[in-house]
Amino acid sequence: MKKIYCNIKKCLGCGSCEIACAIEHSKSRELNKSIAESPLPVKRRKAEFVEESVSISTGCHHCENAACVTACMSGAMYKDKKTALTQHDKDRCVGCWMCIMTCPFGAVTRLREEKIVLKCDLCPDRDKPACVEACQTKSLFLGTLKEFTKICST
Amino acid sequence: MQYVIIGSSAAGINAIEAIRTKDKTSKIIIISDEKNPLYSRCLISYLLAGTIDGKKIWYKPDSFFKDNKVEALLGIKAEKINIKKKEIAIGNKEKIKFDKLLIATGASPKLEDIPGIDKKGVFPLRTIEHTTEIQSMLDKVKSVAVLGGGLIGLRAAYALKNRGKNVSVFVKSGSILSQIIDKDAAGIMQKRIEERGIKIFTGVAAKEITGAKSVDGVALDNGSKHDCELVIIGKGVSPNVEIAKDAGIKTSWGILANERLRTGVEDIFTAGDVSETNDIALEESSINAIWPAACEQGRIAGLNMTGENETYEGSLAMNSIEFFGLPVISVGITKPKSDRYKEIVKKDAGKNIYKKIVLKDGIIVGVIFVNSIENIGIIGTLIKNKADVTSIKDIMLEDYFDYGKIAPLIKKSKRGFKEPEFKETIMTL
Repeated sequence: MKKIYCNIKKCLGCGSCEIACAIEHSKSRELNKSIAESPLPVKRRKAEFVEESVSISTGCHHCENAACVTACMSGAMYKDKKTALTQHDKDRCVGCWMCIMTCPFGAVTRLREEKIVLKCDLCPDRDKPACVEACQTKSLFLGTLKEFTKICST
Repeated sequence: MQYVIIGSSAAGINAIEAIRTKDKTSKIIIISDEKNPLYSRCLISYLLAGTIDGKKIWYKPDSFFKDNKVEALLGIKAEKINIKKKEIAIGNKEKIKFDKLLIATGASPKLEDIPGIDKKGVFPLRTIEHTTEIQSMLDKVKSVAVLGGGLIGLRAAYALKNRGKNVSVFVKSGSILSQIIDKDAAGIMQKRIEERGIKIFTGVAAKEITGAKSVDGVALDNGSKHDCELVIIGKGVSPNVEIAKDAGIKTSWGILANERLRTGVEDIFTAGDVSETNDIALEESSINAIWPAACEQGRIAGLNMTGENETYEGSLAMNSIEFFGLPVISVGITKPKSDRYKEIVKKDAGKNIYKKIVLKDGIIVGVIFVNSIENIGIIGTLIKNKADVTSIKDIMLEDYFDYGKIAPLIKKSKRGFKEPEFKETIMTL
């Protein structure tokens, strides 16, 4: 299964991934227009400090045994049978926050007012997710764990 | 091979899906005393509240049994298990043979042993039928008494308030949600619930439900009487162990399960609200009758029924509730009973924020977050993996705490964080 990995050694925590993610999930999909949208577009990826000068860009890991899918009481969070990605159907979501309760990465975003959650959908309209494309240091990588392991060791 | 599953809620459904990932062809028979079992039990209070439409209640599509080639015996009660003959007697005297059996009989609401409990207008809230029955009489109801201030009692109270009823909740103990959260968190939740018009009376219990055939009120142990046309009993649940117990399967509070979710009998497994497993935080045998545990147990039991060798790491108490825009989530031990435990607390009364972490020997065993619930899953992961958090204990309740801050613990950990998703962190930090 292809998903997004972050090489902590390369990540600067610049936040380009966050901005690209928010723009990709905006109505206009353009930076200058999206910042004027209401509601403001919401990012599904976070650049986080590990310690001084060490950062990680993190989001949904599309876990093999996804705790959010197990916990979801409405069936909104589900595993795509073909791709094995963890997907979210906002029309089924009831805002019970069980996914937030169980996500090991803090990768599910809560929309308080709408009473639904958002998470990484791996940018279905693009070949490469917006965050991966925007990453200035190539710390973000789209591929399998095997491929990621290989490029990290070279 | 013939698989038989008794019970068709979270555990049963997840077991079917798990079995079918390994065994596409063998026969699966499911026996359920519910006629329409494919709904989400957790959502019935939402349905009662009218905050979701009738479609969202269905956890799986109508075609689920057909799609998974399951013979579903619905509205039928499994009466008896013969462990020697490996067969089950069902309602119509028929016998069903099994090679592998899953007992996922769930739990039943505890009904109070007080006079008048059998009057018309007294309901627990456990099944979709309860919701339908309550809904059908709502036109005639002005006032409701909810007995019990736990999760179900309060969800019912919230639902009926949302339906425009006058709702009063009578709570025997000193505070609401006392099984799940501590007094401080309960205080914040109670204030919000009361502000929105639900009356809560703590330290009061009903001693009788009054009325001729139908309810007209409850008599309380403080001598007063409360008029109402509807009574909801929210006194928790007890596991449906009888069928297992009668068959000679080892039970305690629930059906005792080992780490493969097998009972004391070969080829018989158990999952869900009826099964008693290792509690990760308590480090003792316990039942956590919650949806996520039932789903996970169902999945693992299902896999092991097909001959896999999956280990169940144990269950953890966890609950997420929101009333009138104020959410609270708790995991693990939230009210420690000895001074071996230490607590870290952060409060912001103006914002209704309350956060507490319970530690034992440098390891987190419990957490409560009120109104600022983001990242609580990260704390839950630390509980599950029994990570020593001494190095991060001063920042765990800060707003900037996130996954990045636990990355060094994951890298250092020798026994936890085995899932492939943590490899990225371990490899590149």
